[in-house]
Amino acid sequence: MAFQFKPAVMVETLPLLTEGIELTIYITLLGLVFGFMIGTVAGLGRLSQNKFNRSISSIYIEIIRGTPMIVQALFLYFGVPLATGVRINPITAGIITIAVNSGAYIAEIVRGAVQSIDKGQFEAGRSIGLTRRQTMISIIWPQAFRRMIPPLGNQFIISLKDTSLLTVIGVAELTRSGQEIVAVNFRSFEVYLTVAIVYLCMTLSIAKALRWYEKKLMARSHR
Amino acid sequence: MSDSSNMIEIRNLHKSYGDIEVIKGVDLNVKQGEVVVILGPSGSGKSTVLRCINRLEEITSGTIVVDGFDLYAKETDINYVRSEAGMVFQQFNLFPHLSVLQNITIGLIKVRKMDKAEADKIALSLLDKVGLPDKATAYPDQLSGGQKQRVAIARSLAMNPKVILFDEPTSALDPELVGEVLDVMKNLADEGMTMVVVTHEMGFAREVADRVIFIADGVIQEEAAPDEFFSNPKHPRLKDFLGKL
Repeated sequence: MAFQFKPAVMVETLPLLTEGIELTIYITLLGLVFGFMIGTVAGLGRLSQNKFNRSISSIYIEIIRGTPMIVQALFLYFGVPLATGVRINPITAGIITIAVNSGAYIAEIVRGAVQSIDKGQFEAGRSIGLTRRQTMISIIWPQAFRRMIPPLGNQFIISLKDTSLLTVIGVAELTRSGQEIVAVNFRSFEVYLTVAIVYLCMTLSIAKALRWYEKKLMARSHR
Repeated sequence: MSDSSNMIEIRNLHKSYGDIEVIKGVDLNVKQGEVVVILGPSGSGKSTVLRCINRLEEITSGTIVVDGFDLYAKETDINYVRSEAGMVFQQFNLFPHLSVLQNITIGLIKVRKMDKAEADKIALSLLDKVGLPDKATAYPDQLSGGQKQRVAIARSLAMNPKVILFDEPTSALDPELVGEVLDVMKNLADEGMTMVVVTHEMGFAREVADRVIFIADGVIQEEAAPDEFFSNPKHPRLKDFLGKL
């Protein structure tokens, strides 16, 4: 029996994916908000003068970067409850996984951006009497943040796509929704093509939004 | 031992980077209202001495007292002393994300806890003083090098410092922009500001300095009033240095 492409299936599939799409967006958003917080703390931790802060941050970053996210999700959802006796629902586990995972990469983005700011900026801040902290907040961070936007956009896109790995812990996100539809109609070509196009639309939106934001920041500083 | 007319007292300053000693025992007093110009070949340690006076560098040994505060003593509030000793950098180091006005007011608002309206008023009068009354809303990117450096001078003046340290303030400027910065510095000197200036501008040293110091190999080799310094150099290193100009 020859394969026959049925575009109509794609049209039928899309509405069935709505809940999956919403969940993917929800997990990505929350995961990245917390990931950005964790990443900022860990990234600044690596630049800290305190050796303990530096070590803790480095260990966190190395462990997360050095292990697959799928293993991190499995460990958190199946492994940790055995040891602690506390069960968490798959969505929460998914958000934590995305946050902790993206946090490690964002930490490196934060560190790189802060280090890229000319040392003279720090000295100028200190020379007018600003404290280390004030210099960091008012002088270094605003400039570093601008430089973080392109790599952050990259990380946002990666994290969005990584949510598809959460199928392994049973999160009914977009990819999982697609799998469930295929299990019923066996139209894997049309269904996964639709799923792929939806991911593409979301990642392109992120890229576009960040480019717009970057332009807006630029405009503000140059007039 | 401490003379209260001294704004800056440096005693037996040593500074090493790893095994390399760059400052090998410098003693220097700067009186209130005095303009001291430091000359020397590049790599001689003159900028390092200047940076130590604002504690942008940690020293290896010795003492530096600025306006009665021992800079490297534990009990000294270094942020306070820094705000009293302005610094003007070779690369200007204006804050590019802030407008000219904000560059000047940030110290007043964050360090002096002044309200914005009052800080703006001071900043505008300082911009007037450095000849840039119409640049308040501009951003550093929109200024020429000479204008940037004049804003940087206004920024340090805003804190009403007791002394201003100039670290090669005109070295990064196109030749035709040097004059406008030196003019501002001359006016400050005339108003009685205490200044320590590391520079290669011999004309400025001759005309404005009360005292010229020659540093080479990490020590002060010669120190004299400008007339004496330029017309009758004694140290062979200085003769050699002046001969090359």
